[in-house]
Amino acid sequence: MRRALSRAIPPLALALPVAASAASAPADLPPYTQAYQPQGTDERGLWMLADEDERNLRDSKFVINDPALQAYVGGVLCRAVGEDRCRGVRIYLVRVASFNANMAPNGTMQLWSGLLLRVRSEAELAAVLGHEFAHFELRHSLAGFRQRRSATDIAAWASFLGQYGPAIQQTAIGSIFQFNREQEKQADLLSLKYAIQSPYSAQAASHIWQRLMGEADATALGRKQRSQRYDRVAFFATHPTNLDRATYLSTLSADVAVKPEAAESYSTALAKWLPEFLSDQLKLNDFGGTEYLLASLAGEHWTAPLLFARAELYRQRGNPRDLVAAADFYRSALGADPDMADAWRGLGLCLMRDRQQVEGTVALKNYIRLRPQAADISMLHAMIGE
Amino acid sequence: MAIRIASFLVIICAALSAQPLIAGNALMPAGTSVAVAKSTLTVTPEREWNRLSARPGRNSETWTLDGDDLNGVNFYSIETARALFREVSKRTKPLPRFSSTMLLTDIPALLENSYRIALGTTLFSMTNIEPVPFLGAKGVRFSYSFRKQMEDVSRNGEAVGAIVNGRLYLMSFDAPAILYFDRDVATFRQIVSSARLESLPMAARR
Amino acid sequence: MRYAFGYAVLCLLLGCLSPTAMAQEKSAVRQGFALDPNSTKILLFRPKVTVGSQSTAGMFEPNADWTQQARDNLDVALAEAQQSLGNEIVGSVDVAGQQAESLAEYQSLFGIVAQSVIEFQFFPGNRLPTKKREGAAFDWTLGPGVSALASRSGARYGLFIFTEDQFGSTGRKIFQVFAAMGGVGIQSGQHKGFAGLVDLNGGDLLWLNADLQMGGDVRTIDGARRRVAQLLEDFPGSSISLAAAQ
Repeated sequence: MRRALSRAIPPLALALPVAASAASAPADLPPYTQAYQPQGTDERGLWMLADEDERNLRDSKFVINDPALQAYVGGVLCRAVGEDRCRGVRIYLVRVASFNANMAPNGTMQLWSGLLLRVRSEAELAAVLGHEFAHFELRHSLAGFRQRRSATDIAAWASFLGQYGPAIQQTAIGSIFQFNREQEKQADLLSLKYAIQSPYSAQAASHIWQRLMGEADATALGRKQRSQRYDRVAFFATHPTNLDRATYLSTLSADVAVKPEAAESYSTALAKWLPEFLSDQLKLNDFGGTEYLLASLAGEHWTAPLLFARAELYRQRGNPRDLVAAADFYRSALGADPDMADAWRGLGLCLMRDRQQVEGTVALKNYIRLRPQAADISMLHAMIGE
Repeated sequence: MAIRIASFLVIICAALSAQPLIAGNALMPAGTSVAVAKSTLTVTPEREWNRLSARPGRNSETWTLDGDDLNGVNFYSIETARALFREVSKRTKPLPRFSSTMLLTDIPALLENSYRIALGTTLFSMTNIEPVPFLGAKGVRFSYSFRKQMEDVSRNGEAVGAIVNGRLYLMSFDAPAILYFDRDVATFRQIVSSARLESLPMAARR
Repeated sequence: MRYAFGYAVLCLLLGCLSPTAMAQEKSAVRQGFALDPNSTKILLFRPKVTVGSQSTAGMFEPNADWTQQARDNLDVALAEAQQSLGNEIVGSVDVAGQQAESLAEYQSLFGIVAQSVIEFQFFPGNRLPTKKREGAAFDWTLGPGVSALASRSGARYGLFIFTEDQFGSTGRKIFQVFAAMGGVGIQSGQHKGFAGLVDLNGGDLLWLNADLQMGGDVRTIDGARRRVAQLLEDFPGSSISLAAAQ
């Protein structure tokens, strides 16, 4: 397929309106209008759909209902892009266990819980929020829509061009993704400008991409798949390769004054939700990626919730050696927090699966004592023979 | 060439759109024993059900009264190292595998994680897990509630499973929490109570 | 490999993967149902209306002006049509909190039920054996809990409406001609909708009409009247009065 691409017919392919503004050093902020009203048929159409979507999102159970966390994230956005800008945005924290954020043309911003789990400081969060805001300010949804429309039109016509048709279609469809990559890069660069004017470290943005690369590699390795290659852009990639991003972001931010990352205030704000988000992640059947994520969250200090999560991860995989490792992690977690009921449960089940009935029973009894109302209490009573 | 592409297209389109026509959903008559999930597991429903021609996986099948989104019963017979149902993407969304060394408490977790991955949802909670004799062995019965990704309807589920000779036998029932679950769960429980493992492989299905 | 890709793209572009015009039933009425002569107040749930155009390749482009026009026109046409039937239509008010959640859940459930009817009763190849045999009842419901939605309005029935219109752009129409020369039939524009009437006392689905190829340009008031006539075709007690609107 890749070879076919290079044989594509140039004239048509070149005719595609690809906005290729190359990466250049940050300049002045573009003008910004508040309470912007959509112009023209296609822009107003897109806003209408976004309004309808927001109407549905507002009442969705997937939105995390936590005014304190909401206010915290809103505060970071305002410090990241400035007070005047942030008023045009409504933030929705959505419970989805993957790394993503998006911004609709009408100012609806969605942040997924998987992103909150992976970001480690206010500065990193500010970088992500600034990036999404840049899409909004640059009106990327509209430009992307217009470009997608002409590219698919060309693909449709190309189906009549005989043997060269498929190649042109590939190029045209590919240009959608190419265009998307350009937009992503523009947003990265504009958000870097915000970061330079904000109280946060501008280097933070590149750290996120470096860790995401590490996690993706670990996921692939854990699934016995080949690692993704970061030096070449995959055909369907909608974003610049993470290596590309990490490199240009760190180069461009290298000479900016060092500012705080605010990692501690971030982990404090997220503490209440950390066990929940970790639990979502553990259920994704991604041993390698989760192991990498836990290690990067722990750094040099494994807290009780992180030890517990790691223990659960190993118990789930369930090879005999995993059960031995898991039991150790549970015990370490319980060393830090002896009242962690779920850790007693995990330890008990882990030992039972490893045929250590007596020790397992002791651990499960601790769980039953701490959580007499748990949903699985009668099952566990049966397992310890009561 | 254009015509060649066109004729190919017609064939492809015909093949794709004709699929539902070939498919046949089958009537499961009341009072008749029937083997399910391509296994020796047999059940005897007291009322009529429909068996959908589309199977969730190799050794599984779906029955319904009004459509699987409104009231669906799934039967599974899973051997070790296999997933509960067909994967959307083996590469990017692989499902957890059953292992014959699992404890009974691992079965609810297997179903929960498979649902979370396949439905792309984070809203799934176990509401009850209890021991129950099933197919002459120690089994587990569990209840749960969940939503599909970004869908406004809340759904409930109930399932019963046991591991017999290293193979997982599992039956589950899912329905919207509004009306359907409470109305139809009794007929599911009746099917569960009629379940037997035949010692000899049954004759091929009709 | 590359050809397979091309065909896949082409298939998608031509939209041949969507279930199109197959011999399919379009509507059904619950057995023995007749409108309650003493109470014909009908609660109309915020109709889901989307109007836009279809680019040459078939991509949907939403159009806010058209959608607003269609919404207004359909409201007028619906009220007219129901009035001529002697029924009173009341719109659902914007609700918040618990009520909004409940409304959203029932609207979503209606979508699932309607989809199940279309897939497992109307669509011949996939019919459920218990639903296709001679004299099988049209028996579908949202459950009695739906009455909570009606408590304020005092309405006896609930009407759910969904329409989606994609008008073919000029490019799409030319493309259609070329495709026909190549022996491929493609659709220019797509107009589908379904409407359902629910008994707000017991939750039973009394009538459902689903059409994947609708007529009537909803951007004009006359077109909207035609669409409403089509949506309400076979509406209980409608045969005479609605014919006049066509």
